[in-house]
Amino acid sequence: MRLRRILIPALMTGRELARRGLALGLLTALPLAFYGASADHSDNAITTGGIAMAFSIAGASIFVAMTARPVDQRLILAGYRPWELLLGRLLLLELFGVVVAGIFSVVMVFGSSPSDPWLVAGGVGLVSLSSVPFGLAVGEIAPHELEGVLVLIGVVGVQLTLDSSQPISRLLPFWGAARLMDRAGDVVSTIGPAVPVDLLYAVALFVLAIYIMHRRSPTAIARPAHR
Amino acid sequence: MSALQTVIDSTAPPVTGAQLEACEVTKRYGSRLVLDRACLSVEAGESVAIIGENGAGKSTLLRICAGLIRPDGGEVKVRGRVGYCPQQPGLFDLLSADEHLALLAPALGMRREAAMREGHELLAEFSFPIAERTQTRHLSGGARQKVNLALALLGSPTVLLLDEPYQGFDHGAYVSFWEHVARWTSLGMGVVVVTHLLADRDLVDRVVELRIPSIAAPESP
Repeated sequence: MRLRRILIPALMTGRELARRGLALGLLTALPLAFYGASADHSDNAITTGGIAMAFSIAGASIFVAMTARPVDQRLILAGYRPWELLLGRLLLLELFGVVVAGIFSVVMVFGSSPSDPWLVAGGVGLVSLSSVPFGLAVGEIAPHELEGVLVLIGVVGVQLTLDSSQPISRLLPFWGAARLMDRAGDVVSTIGPAVPVDLLYAVALFVLAIYIMHRRSPTAIARPAHR
Repeated sequence: MSALQTVIDSTAPPVTGAQLEACEVTKRYGSRLVLDRACLSVEAGESVAIIGENGAGKSTLLRICAGLIRPDGGEVKVRGRVGYCPQQPGLFDLLSADEHLALLAPALGMRREAAMREGHELLAEFSFPIAERTQTRHLSGGARQKVNLALALLGSPTVLLLDEPYQGFDHGAYVSFWEHVARWTSLGMGVVVVTHLLADRDLVDRVVELRIPSIAAPESP
C-alpha cells in the first residue's frame, strides 16, 4: 500500500509530463543548441552542453512542482504525505533525466570524441541526478513560475560561466558534474570530490523541497485523521 | 488575541455532536484584518451556509477550517475527516477525471477499483458524462466543478466544506446540488457551504453571516 502512495503520483506525473510533448522537445533542444554552438571551437563544449542539460531536466522539474502546487494541498488533505508525493515525482523525473542524459552522452561522445567517454556519461548522469531535486526545490520555494525560471537561468548560467577550478563554482549544485566533464575534455587534470559533493547537494535540495512542502501543507497546520 | 491552536479529534464518534467547531478565529493578511474572532460550528447531519459580502472572509474561514491556512488566533476542532471543495477547482489540467480518482485512491486508503466505482457514482449523480476521458482543461467550467465536488466527496468525509461549489452549474445541476446536500446530511455528514446567493438561505438548517471586520474608532475623551 505504501508503495502505491509513491508510484501512483509518479505515474500521474509521467502522464502529465508526456502530454507536454512540445515543451519537453523545446527543453531538450535548448542544451543541444548550446552544445552545437560551441562544439567546433571550444574546449569546454562538453561541459557547456552537459551543464546546459540542467535547463531541460530542472526546467521540467520546476514545471511539475509548480503545476502540482494548487492540487498538492488537496492531495495532502486526503492523506498523502509530502515526501510521498515528492519521492514519486523525483523517481519519474529521474527516469526522464536518464533518457535525456543518454541522448546527450551519445551526441557528445560522437561529436567531441573525448579521451574517456565514461567520464562524459558520468558527468551528464550527475547533472541529471542533481537537476531533479534542484528543480523540485526551486518549484516549491519560488512564488511563481517566472521567479522559478529566473533562478534556474541564474544558477545554471553562472555555473556555465564559471571555471570549475574557481572556488565559487563549488558552491553551485552542478560543480561536481562540471568537474567530471572538464576532466573528460582534458580541461583539468583531477576530479577531486566531485561525485560525493554533488550527491550531498542533491540530497540536501530534496530534503529542502520536502521541508518547504511540509511547511505549506495541511499536515503542518492541522492533521486530519488517516485511515 | 487567543493563542493559535488547531485540534483534530479523530477518535470521537462520527455521527453525533459537533463535527466542526471553530472559535474566535482571527486572520490578518499583512495589515488587513480579514477575520475578527469568527465562530462557526456544524453538527452531524446539519447543513450550514456561510454568507457575507465580498471580502468578509468566507473562503478564508473555510480554508482555516480545512487546515489549509493557519489562523493568527482561535481554535478549530474537527472530528473525523474533512472533504474540501475549493472555489477554484484544484485539478491537474492534463489529467482526466478518472486519473484524478486513481490519484486520490491511495491517499484515502481505497483500492483503485473502489475509488473508481464510488467516484463514478458521484459523478453520475451530478450528470457528469462518465465515459468522458478528456483532460480536465477541455471540460466546461461546470463539468470541472462537478469533478471538483466529486473529489471532495470521495471516501465519505464526515465534514464537507464547500466553497461556492456550484459555480458554472446550469439550473438543473444547481437544484440537484441542494437535493444532494439534503441527502448527505441525512447520512450524518456535516455540510458547510459558502454562498453569496440569498435564495440558498432557505435551503440550509442554519446561516452564519460574516461581516467585514471594522477597525474600532478611538474613543472620544
